[in-house]
Amino acid sequence: MQRKYNPQLTYWLLVLPALLAMAVFYFYPVSRVLWMSVTIPEPGLGNFAQLANSHSINRMLWTTLRISLISTALTLILGYVVAYVITHAEDRRKRLLFMAVLASLWISVLVRAFAWFALLRSDGLINQMLMGLGITDTPLPMMWNEFSVLVGIVHAMLPLAILPLYSGMQSIDPRLVAAARGLGANRRGAFWRIFFPLTLPGVFGASILVFIYALGFYVTPALLGGGRKMMIAEYIKVQILEVVNWGAGSMLASVLLIFIVVTLAIVSRLVDLRKLFGAA
Amino acid sequence: MEDQSFAEDFAEIMRDQDASGMSRRRILQSALAMGVAPLAASLGARGVLAADKPEVVVVNWGGLAVEVFQQAFADPYNAEGGNMVIDGSGPLNGKILTMVQANDVTWDICDAGVTTLADLGPKGALQPINYDIVDKSKVVDGMTYELGVANYFFSSVMAWDSDKVDGTPSPADFFDTKKYPGRRMIRKDSQAMLELALLADGVAPEDLYPLDVERAFAKFDSIRDDLLFWSSGSQSQSLLRDGECVMGFLWSTRANMLEKETAGRIKYTFDKGLLQPGLWVVPKNNPAGDEAFRAIASMQRPEEQVYVLEQMGNGPANPAAAEMVPEQLRSANPADPENRKVQATLNADWYIEHHRETYQAFLDRIVL
Amino acid sequence: MSSFARDNASLPVRGSAWTIICLMILPMSVVFAVSVTDRPYLSLPENGVSLQYYRNLFTSPEWLLSIWQSFVIACVSTMVAGALGTLGSIGCWRISSGASNVLRLVMLVPLMLPPIVYGLGAYQVWADLGWINTYTGIIVAHAMTGIPYVVITVSTALAGLDPKLEQAARSLGAGMGATIWYVIFPNIMPGILSGLVFAFIHSWDELVIALFIAGRNVFTLPRRMWDGINENLDPTMAAVASVLILVTLGLLVFELLGRGRKR
Repeated sequence: MQRKYNPQLTYWLLVLPALLAMAVFYFYPVSRVLWMSVTIPEPGLGNFAQLANSHSINRMLWTTLRISLISTALTLILGYVVAYVITHAEDRRKRLLFMAVLASLWISVLVRAFAWFALLRSDGLINQMLMGLGITDTPLPMMWNEFSVLVGIVHAMLPLAILPLYSGMQSIDPRLVAAARGLGANRRGAFWRIFFPLTLPGVFGASILVFIYALGFYVTPALLGGGRKMMIAEYIKVQILEVVNWGAGSMLASVLLIFIVVTLAIVSRLVDLRKLFGAA
Repeated sequence: MEDQSFAEDFAEIMRDQDASGMSRRRILQSALAMGVAPLAASLGARGVLAADKPEVVVVNWGGLAVEVFQQAFADPYNAEGGNMVIDGSGPLNGKILTMVQANDVTWDICDAGVTTLADLGPKGALQPINYDIVDKSKVVDGMTYELGVANYFFSSVMAWDSDKVDGTPSPADFFDTKKYPGRRMIRKDSQAMLELALLADGVAPEDLYPLDVERAFAKFDSIRDDLLFWSSGSQSQSLLRDGECVMGFLWSTRANMLEKETAGRIKYTFDKGLLQPGLWVVPKNNPAGDEAFRAIASMQRPEEQVYVLEQMGNGPANPAAAEMVPEQLRSANPADPENRKVQATLNADWYIEHHRETYQAFLDRIVL
Repeated sequence: MSSFARDNASLPVRGSAWTIICLMILPMSVVFAVSVTDRPYLSLPENGVSLQYYRNLFTSPEWLLSIWQSFVIACVSTMVAGALGTLGSIGCWRISSGASNVLRLVMLVPLMLPPIVYGLGAYQVWADLGWINTYTGIIVAHAMTGIPYVVITVSTALAGLDPKLEQAARSLGAGMGATIWYVIFPNIMPGILSGLVFAFIHSWDELVIALFIAGRNVFTLPRRMWDGINENLDPTMAAVASVLILVTLGLLVFELLGRGRKR
């Protein structure tokens, strides 16, 4: 047993295996993608010129951005309501609601997309029900379009938004709202003037989280989109594995990577990233 | 290295025990419990169990095809002392190229199409077919290319939902959304879709190539809002089966399955369809070397190809198979002489030259 | 006082929240219902419950092999992520705060970057290493992307641990290893267990990396399910999905119990 050791040094030694492993097996592969984007098919920024020249890439990026933004907004609105109610529920209900959120967070996204697949098809369960009840004669087209992609993404992202929103709301001193009520504000006024502004940092953090995950989402859009709504992750996969256009594929992966890193770098001045990703 | 010797050892134990009467199954079970069965199976099979001939890995697209290829091709080949394994993990072009570039090729024969010749040929990722071993005379119509050889045929055809489309629509009606309202589906790929559009537009099969790409795009543009895209065979099947669309361009194999499972509600026609070859390609520096070509030659046997037709609807590439096809299967055989008369045949040379740019333009103009 | 301070949400708000929660759970229940259908396509049971698709699943050598392989991969990658993540978090806990913030952030990066980007990069590097279609390839990739889950839960557990405890142990003459083993580990065990559970679930469900790296020798359960959906949509996929859900729920309950005991 050694008595004298330099504690700082030993603690660094504890971190070292993880850092080394991640450097070699995580960060090196990621940097390989950047490297590919400027070396294949020939060295230079030729691949990145496609961002300006290629209509399909532009349209695909626009689709990705639009779907990500819309689903982020929807997720935040729905998630806010849920987080609000969980925060204000009595303990037993709170636990129940919380369990439901956690369960849906951890169930595989593939399984969840598959479930929507079974529900939304023309011949799916929702249409069977609607037609059985006589609400509609012809099946509603809910699948293979932007609607199904949005439903799938919002469903996948909801728990990711609820958790940081909830942890933000929970840290608000309930006496503040009570004081406002005591001073004569009605419920609505107390909410909008006191409670809501205090939750804005949480809303901001949750939006960033959801937006970033939605941008790079593969499984759900690929399964529910029906081709027309191809988002960037699926496009990258097609370019790499099917079309064998590695230049475009790695370029887009790099764009996605750089965009996310830059966004997070800016955001990190306003939000504690460790808390944000740790809350989920 | 250690793994391999362990696997060798393991395989030897298996043989010894087998001889001494201990149940092979029990050993396998305990091996599975140790988590080494997959390892032993792969390594063992590669060099130990069949010491004479190297293992030949045939990669196809999974599902039913794994079982069918096993029975049709691997079982007879292995019965003659070979060692063929069917891998259903999908020989995507990008995966073949990655293997070749990393110099770590584990596939010998890949189930591919002309687009693979176009995408990988110029990159030098494919091994020229050794026609000293593979018999050209056992492939119809010169569907033998430097880097690939036809093993079966499939067609892209038009199918429709007879509940929603009265009578027999002509291919031109595919583009007439006034006559038959409703969504249409096409493949998320320019391959065969352009040909079908041009044929529907009245281009004669013999004048098809070189393809008038612009004219085909204009055709699809005219019904752009009613288009759905499928990317896998099962997706094309479920889009039509579930009534998501009223008509579609899809593979004849899937159309045939649909007709059966919907008891004739979904109908299809070979008229103005496109006959396409399914090709074997061999990645550069494949592990089994020339044995891959001997395996391909073995798979040219007509009875094996007819079996695949029976099970999956892929048309035989060997002209000698034509007479062996049972009467009731002929109507569904894409390569049947009667069906060939009404279809055009894909021109691989055009694809090798133009596929890459055309596909990208298709994504640009039609899909995205 | 507390009820006034709480200022409970109004009925419409509560109603919509419960509706949303139900919609979040609904798809999972649908998967179970479809998995016991007696009809040959994705549908609810019509004339009774049938277990035929579970029979399909549990008598198919391919599916069983995938379940087994996914299990082995999840176990090993969880152990690797657990060891690296736990030691790393303990180290960060005692390193001066500026550096440790950066280090912890670095270990969280796999949570921030899209799997498609890492999958593509790992695919290229693994190809050079000959790791495509091997256990090693998938295990290493899953271990790296599993580290953040361990770091999060262990760091949270450490935050609640009094650093004086560790100093006291050392001043009594305990070495580094002894301090960690006898003092720190028992106190953060629930955090470690939670991290292991999440890392396990992560690997068990992971698809995107498997799309690039899996092959004939190693074909994980989500990968086989993905191929199954694309090849032939039959209710067996719902049975597979149910198995995935049950394993996840079982692990979550285990995790909750583990945390509850500590409290």
